[in-house]
Amino acid sequence: MSILEVKNLRKVYSSRLGGNRVEALRDVSFTVERGEYVAIMGESGSGKTTLLNILAALDKPTGGTVLLDGKDLKEVREAAVASFRRDNLGFVFQDFNLLDTFTLEDNIYLPLVLAGKRYEEMRGRLTPIAARLEISDLLKKYPYEVSGGQKQRAAVARAMITDPKLLLADEPTGALDSRASDELLRLFAEINARGQTIVMVTHSVKAASSAGRVLFIKDGEVFHQLYRGNDTDELLYQKISDTLTLIATGGRRQ
Amino acid sequence: MKLGFYPRLAADGIRKNRRMYLPYILTCVGMVMMFYIILYLAVSPSLDAVKGADTLREIFALGSWVIAVFSAIFLFYTNSFLMRRRKKEFGLYNILGMGKGNIARILLWETVWTAILSIGFGLFAGIALSKLAELGLVNVMRGEVTFDLTVSHVSIVRTAEVFGVIFVLLLLNSIRQVRFASAVSLLRSENAGEKPPRGNLLLGAAGLLLLAAAYTLAVSIKNPLAALLWFFVAVLMVIIGTYLVIIAGSVLFCRLLQRKKSYYYQASHFVSVSSMVYRMKRNGAGLASICVLATMVLVMISSTTCLYFGEEASVSQRYPRELSLTATFTDERDSSADPVKPLREAIESIAESRGAELSDVCDYRYLNVSGAFLPDGEVETDADRLDSFSASTLGNVTAFCFIPLADYNAMTGENRALEDGQALIYAYRTSFDGDTLTFKRGLSLRIAGTADNFPGSGSAAMDVVPTVFLVVPDLYDAMEQLVEGMSEETEQYLVMRWLFQFDTGLNAEGQQALCKELRAKLREGGEQLIHFEGVTVGAIECRELERDEIFGLFGSLFYLGVILSIVFILAAVLIIYYKQISEGYEDQARFDIMRKVGMTKREIRKSINSQLLTVFFLPLLLAALHICFAFPIIEKLLRLFGLNNVSLFALTTALSAAVFALFYAAVYRLTSNAYYNIVSGAREAG
Ligand SMILES: Nc1ncnc2c1ncn2[C@@H]1O[C@H](COP(=O)(O)OP(=O)(O)OP(=O)(O)O)[C@@H](O)[C@H]1O
Ligand SMILES: [Mg+2]
Repeated sequence: MSILEVKNLRKVYSSRLGGNRVEALRDVSFTVERGEYVAIMGESGSGKTTLLNILAALDKPTGGTVLLDGKDLKEVREAAVASFRRDNLGFVFQDFNLLDTFTLEDNIYLPLVLAGKRYEEMRGRLTPIAARLEISDLLKKYPYEVSGGQKQRAAVARAMITDPKLLLADEPTGALDSRASDELLRLFAEINARGQTIVMVTHSVKAASSAGRVLFIKDGEVFHQLYRGNDTDELLYQKISDTLTLIATGGRRQ
Repeated sequence: MKLGFYPRLAADGIRKNRRMYLPYILTCVGMVMMFYIILYLAVSPSLDAVKGADTLREIFALGSWVIAVFSAIFLFYTNSFLMRRRKKEFGLYNILGMGKGNIARILLWETVWTAILSIGFGLFAGIALSKLAELGLVNVMRGEVTFDLTVSHVSIVRTAEVFGVIFVLLLLNSIRQVRFASAVSLLRSENAGEKPPRGNLLLGAAGLLLLAAAYTLAVSIKNPLAALLWFFVAVLMVIIGTYLVIIAGSVLFCRLLQRKKSYYYQASHFVSVSSMVYRMKRNGAGLASICVLATMVLVMISSTTCLYFGEEASVSQRYPRELSLTATFTDERDSSADPVKPLREAIESIAESRGAELSDVCDYRYLNVSGAFLPDGEVETDADRLDSFSASTLGNVTAFCFIPLADYNAMTGENRALEDGQALIYAYRTSFDGDTLTFKRGLSLRIAGTADNFPGSGSAAMDVVPTVFLVVPDLYDAMEQLVEGMSEETEQYLVMRWLFQFDTGLNAEGQQALCKELRAKLREGGEQLIHFEGVTVGAIECRELERDEIFGLFGSLFYLGVILSIVFILAAVLIIYYKQISEGYEDQARFDIMRKVGMTKREIRKSINSQLLTVFFLPLLLAALHICFAFPIIEKLLRLFGLNNVSLFALTTALSAAVFALFYAAVYRLTSNAYYNIVSGAREAG
């Protein structure tokens, strides 16, 4: 069974006065198998963040269904949504969403604390992740004391620490230099190899080329998708570039 | 009318930040209004008719200054909340190329607008409500009500001046803050957490010491005179101590909680503890202010209501009979005739000519001397040999009143007998359990028994120090022995006096008329003075005449107490409002993030409750503690006003505390709901 099934998803934003309507997603359908590593690409404003927010149950679709591990998100009770998300999903936000009031360490612990875990266990989980992300020395600092890239790594650590069924990441490499983003991508590839399912939104062809499958979104629909198959990273990189060029020149899928 | 660039920008700034500015301006309006009303009451012509109007005017003039000083402090406090929010905007202007000078001009215009709005509306509201306040006051003072609305120009001008100065100070302070900050630090000022104050532990320890010292002082003082002297010292110590202890204590407390991992990393504590650490200084100052305000309100309300409602008791203690007269006399000890007989007869005949029937007569000669009990139990009466400012001396100062046995027996109808060197004792507001009472200057009295039926005297009730009445066989002997070792300076105060008190059976007007006639005929300088050989008449007091004075004092204190309490309560509510609302807006984004990370609404509710509970009830608890320790010292102070009713004071204290707690709980509910709506209203979806 697929871990994630998205069927005919539609999302219309209407402004407060009801006048302006933006159709962010028109008709999006796709599935993600357990253990897959999927990248989603598309132009700015094409609805990627909107899609991810709906997958994470942060937002409600106007139409269509999302099944996570066979469970329809619509059927999760309003009150249970937050704990459902906490127990099943890890989310790396495009704008970090770290709390000023907590040190990086406490920010990372937040979902575990909410789940009622003991300190020793949390500490044990954090140590290896922090080492991988090279933030071990920064754990006692507050978000306003560290750089954008460091914040992003803390956000990644927070998403990973719960061992979620599905890791959702919105532009995780957006604020990183090439060395740090290579390291992060290698980390993603590695946890994916150990069975972690990942859905990642990105603008970076490099980042996308480390994934197993790439979805392209345009005009609120899945425009195209590329499977890695047996391709190397370089070959996939080339294919992605070509597809992006095709989208940019306005071509339609055959 | 077209406005210039800066005035318009400033007006826009106020409008855009109205959620913060509106309560600020309302605060200013409230303060201006209260100040005007108090000043107005101090000069209002319709109060001329009220009893004790002069006392009232003085007290209100004093009260207006209390409000002015308090307004200044409080507006500085609320203004700092505003500036914290505005700094970000100014940082942006600064980065976009606006100089500090230009920002200062915006600040100037913002202050101008705020000042115009607050002083304008404040005066308007003050004038509108002044009549109401006046009616309330006249009612409290049981005076005649008039219904013409007057406006006091002097008060308007004075109000504008005082608040003009406060606004100038506020402006200078804001400019100073912007001037010494870089653009980036301005931009970030809202995000940065607060560092703990340096020397935190030391400050906390100093605060604890101050509180402990103040508490000890408050419970150890036995004597109203010392209480008066030390009360303000204790108040200052408590205020400073409260600030230090709460600020340092809350930081330390949060730190400790944070260090205790098993406590800190629990869903319900995690968020509240960390956000308290994040704003620890602001939190501490806010909580301490609430605590101090609550204490002041409780002290004022409980003591002034006690005075107001205990007024009758106080009057009858001070004036146990309707009329009272004292005289001094010089007399040779050998003359067998009663030296005050002619005077007594004159009084009786005047009283009878006005239809009075003398009853409950209190008639005795006496000799007053004050001294202090030394550590060895003996009494020093020579002021020169006493270290008059040491607290131990102050605590032991006692008035001694010698009364001849003959007068005691005549007055009480008893038939007691004393040998030479013996005395009967009646200790008023003190106790003496030795066998002999020795005066250092040469008089030693063996205590032969107690003078149980002694009626006491009004002046002893009024006296700040306790009194020991000693019934001696002969007043002259006592006097001669006392004088022996005294310096001449002290000696001249040693005079024989005569007290004559009685009820008349006349109505209030009759008593007053009789008193006036007695004054005219008997007292030095009276129009129809009758002279008595060797006798000088001192005070002639009439309860009905004096009551007005006491009433003027207590009534105006009560009224002022109520008004100041309203001001302080408003201030406390506003502090809470600012704290919770401004933090609510800061926390909105935070709770939104926590929701995204997986915090359920119930968890949010719980963490808010745990935070608010500390914020609200910590100051209230500490205020209650302050009140408990303040109780004994205030009870002694009330004695200075002739009020000697501990149970009434306990009752008013308990009642005020209960009412205040109820009110406080209501504010808590309102604020916690408002806070919850703000933080959870960010986006309900999800
Ligand atoms: N809360 C909202 N209300 C109204 N319109 C919105 C809202 N959020 C997004 N939109 C609109 O929906 C569209 C999709 O936005 P979305 O944030 O999903 O884009 P994106 O693909 O993530 O872009 P980027 O790559 O720049 O992050 C945009 O046109 C955006 O303006
Ligand atoms: Mg996006």
